Amino acid sequence: MPCSSVADLCPVTCAGCGLLCDDVMVEVAGDAVRLTPDCRLGAEWFSDRVRSGEGPPATINGEAVDVDGALSRAAELLRAARRPLVHGFDGATVEDARAAVALADRLGALVAAGAVTGEWPGAPAIPLRGASTATFGEIRDRSRVVVVWREDPETTHPRLLDRLGLGSTDRTLVVVDDRDTATAQRADVVLRWPRERDLETLASLHVLQKGLAVPSSDLVGGLSELIDRFRAVPHAAFVYGPGLTDGAGGQRRALALHELVRALCHQRHVVTLELLRAAGTRSADDVLAWQSGYGGFVDFASGHPELVTATHPLEDVDVTLGVEAGVGGCVAAGPGVEVWIGTAAAGVAAAGTAHRLDGVPLALQAPLPGDAPTAAVLLTRLLAEIDA
Amino acid sequence: MTEIRISGGAVHDPANDVDGDVRDVCLRDGNVVDDVGPGARRIDARGMVVMPGGVDIHAHIAGPKVNAARKLSPDDRRDDALDRTELLRSGSGGLVPSTFATGYRYSLLGYTTVVEAAAPPLAARHVLSELRDTPMIDKAFLILMGNNQVLFELIRESRGAAGAGADRIKDAIAWWLDATGGYGVKLVNPGGVELWKQDNGVVESLDDEVAGFGVTPRQVLEAIGGAVNELGLPHPVHVHANNLGVPGNVETTLDTMRTLSGRQAHFAHVQFHSYGGKPGGLPRSRAPELIEYLGDHPEITADVGQVMFGPAMTMTADAHVSAVLRDLDGGKWINHDTEVETGCGIVPYTYRAGNYVHALQWGIGLELFLLGKDPWQVMLSTDHPNGGSFLSYPKLIRLLMDRAFREDQLRRANQKAIRRTTLLDGLDREYTLSEIAIITRAAPARRLGLRDKGHLGIGADADVTIYHDRADREEMFATPRYVIKGGEVVVEEGDLRRVDDGRLLSTRARFDSEVGRVLEPLFGDRYTVAFEHYPVRDPALREPAQVVEAGGA
Repeated sequence: MPCSSVADLCPVTCAGCGLLCDDVMVEVAGDAVRLTPDCRLGAEWFSDRVRSGEGPPATINGEAVDVDGALSRAAELLRAARRPLVHGFDGATVEDARAAVALADRLGALVAAGAVTGEWPGAPAIPLRGASTATFGEIRDRSRVVVVWREDPETTHPRLLDRLGLGSTDRTLVVVDDRDTATAQRADVVLRWPRERDLETLASLHVLQKGLAVPSSDLVGGLSELIDRFRAVPHAAFVYGPGLTDGAGGQRRALALHELVRALCHQRHVVTLELLRAAGTRSADDVLAWQSGYGGFVDFASGHPELVTATHPLEDVDVTLGVEAGVGGCVAAGPGVEVWIGTAAAGVAAAGTAHRLDGVPLALQAPLPGDAPTAAVLLTRLLAEIDA
Repeated sequence: MTEIRISGGAVHDPANDVDGDVRDVCLRDGNVVDDVGPGARRIDARGMVVMPGGVDIHAHIAGPKVNAARKLSPDDRRDDALDRTELLRSGSGGLVPSTFATGYRYSLLGYTTVVEAAAPPLAARHVLSELRDTPMIDKAFLILMGNNQVLFELIRESRGAAGAGADRIKDAIAWWLDATGGYGVKLVNPGGVELWKQDNGVVESLDDEVAGFGVTPRQVLEAIGGAVNELGLPHPVHVHANNLGVPGNVETTLDTMRTLSGRQAHFAHVQFHSYGGKPGGLPRSRAPELIEYLGDHPEITADVGQVMFGPAMTMTADAHVSAVLRDLDGGKWINHDTEVETGCGIVPYTYRAGNYVHALQWGIGLELFLLGKDPWQVMLSTDHPNGGSFLSYPKLIRLLMDRAFREDQLRRANQKAIRRTTLLDGLDREYTLSEIAIITRAAPARRLGLRDKGHLGIGADADVTIYHDRADREEMFATPRYVIKGGEVVVEEGDLRRVDDGRLLSTRARFDSEVGRVLEPLFGDRYTVAFEHYPVRDPALREPAQVVEAGGA
């Protein structure tokens, strides 16, 4: 049921992280936002967006302008671009992403559904071998062992462990991390080794699960016990994310994890869950895949979509279009110019659809509907302006 | 007002007993009419064949499993790019084309309506979003209900509860269709997918109990099949039987058909369910037995699920099957478990003419087509892309229409397998054009309850395909001369000339809204999505739609 204001206190979907918790009650009093169930991250997210309606609707190089003027300038920038990049999507809805990919198709742009910073992690792992995955409820109801690999969901996805049913006595939480994280503090078992050893450790686990021996000098501590834990249960899960996949060799590490899970699946049911940071990333990746045929990073420069796999393709980018990046808005930035246009934050001021990080699509409500356009509306107008 | 007169073509409209008669077909404002004015566009169809637009009763074109297959297989599409034009969006093809490419290519093939045959209800928003990006065709989707834990609970509780329990199941199914925009109900390996998700388990007989739920596959079939019949949904329950691909599975298939005896039902891709032999051994063909059963039971229809030699992309809610293929092939594999409702498996696969099992599967499919006495009962499908791409339909049609071509292809297939079919026993039938019109449009439309599709009678949707009457039937059906969708020419001379968004087809069945009080606590215990947020109400996803009302018992 739609809320006319948050004072009505109806449950809404929080897009503060990729969990998209849809059982959230929001109370706003002045600048203070309180969420039930309590979630620091969600409260900050709502608070930022409740305040984001203040200020001009658009700017060019920081100077206030109207939306039409900003759209015209953004269209000029993008029309003149030799190598445009469409990226961001942190808070994007499916509708926003559909409009963004349509615009990228028209522009012959690069599109990145996820982060574009940092070292190139290599060709994506899943197209090489596949993966075993599940929705939250499957993991909650079946997995007796959950391994969180170098992630700290207690900080980045605060309700994840509870939503996966961890904390009950018949579940074991294993954390692989050499940092002292909030998640590690909740773990039943913590396995510590340097990140540089992840690849060989995953390979060792693969060997051990076959019942073969690994020279003890090659083993980090606790691996045999971890395999024994898997052998004792019919169902287990791995939770992983940028801690494994970011940076040089990231996708090779991801491939090693999926190979391990595949091998474990011969005797039991084992699944993975990728912790995407931003709420909009999964939506953008799914839309990109269905409209182009490819997920992740796609180049439309040749007039048709091509999957970017081999190298980091950003060197020649001259104009970027950030869609719902950071606190929101659409930002077109080219040489010497930055155009910003405010948008209605999906999940606060505008309704829409978003895909949870496990792929489940959910409705975002608009508990505080605003006058600003959605990114989808803006991008559609921008495309029309470019075509005019 | 758009008016078209298709003049002088040989019209094949079997639903109206028109078998190649040379006559005009008139279209106005999206419908077939009896006449049009002198200013109407005239399409000279002399020497051409005129049929209703194609209707695909069983394909996989949208939703999370299709999209996962796209992400899994960039190599399959890399050399099959579609460039952007002034009219068309760019895309990529291959076995699992991007959404725009899917719509364009179905249209170029003369198809105007396609059913996505297996969508998790929980993923309805995703399915609807993809379908909104799939132009040119009218489209519907079937929701997966055969492993739904909430329904399991209702089925278990209904035993001994006389009529009230059955009514509750009926109301729940109608509620789910209303909540998702689905068109019909699909059962995939009833009970078996839940067992797979529990601990890689399988169903061996219809009377195996689904651990933890106290129901059997047979009870699921009876309860849901019966409820769908009583609701009078436009399409009967659509069944992917247990034990797909397992040697000896024809016994399960026939048992499933007997279980649904007396009820309307559609059986999907029966080729994969027509095997003799013993589990673990080599399969044999039991197609004749299956066809004989169908002949005696007109309430049951089927689509074949023909395999075509070459690459395919297997994708199914029957995830156990994918694990078997993973181990056979050793290649890529995706498994995805969807809470409460279903599973999913994806494996790229290649059917080889020299391989005994593949050749037998190919041969069984042809047997089913050629032995069937009533083409209204056995419809064309490749279970796209499981048995092969929908783009292989023209070749399949040639196999059915051209005996010499078929015999040539038979000689290229594994002979040990072919000898274990009836294909070498004087099975020389050649399909006529009208029979092709039945299995590719008239029968699927009728079985889907789409009264305005699959025929060219007055008032029908103006979805028309016009072919050159070529001796090479593969070429003929691969390149229609004209395709008309909703009364507008969208394909001409093999090119897309106009983009049509296509409509969503959904159904509406009455239900007691109090069923929500029953479902809500069951949802709360199982789903990680709030009950009040589960239904899809967003008009941008649900509308415009053509709603087909359920008839009621």
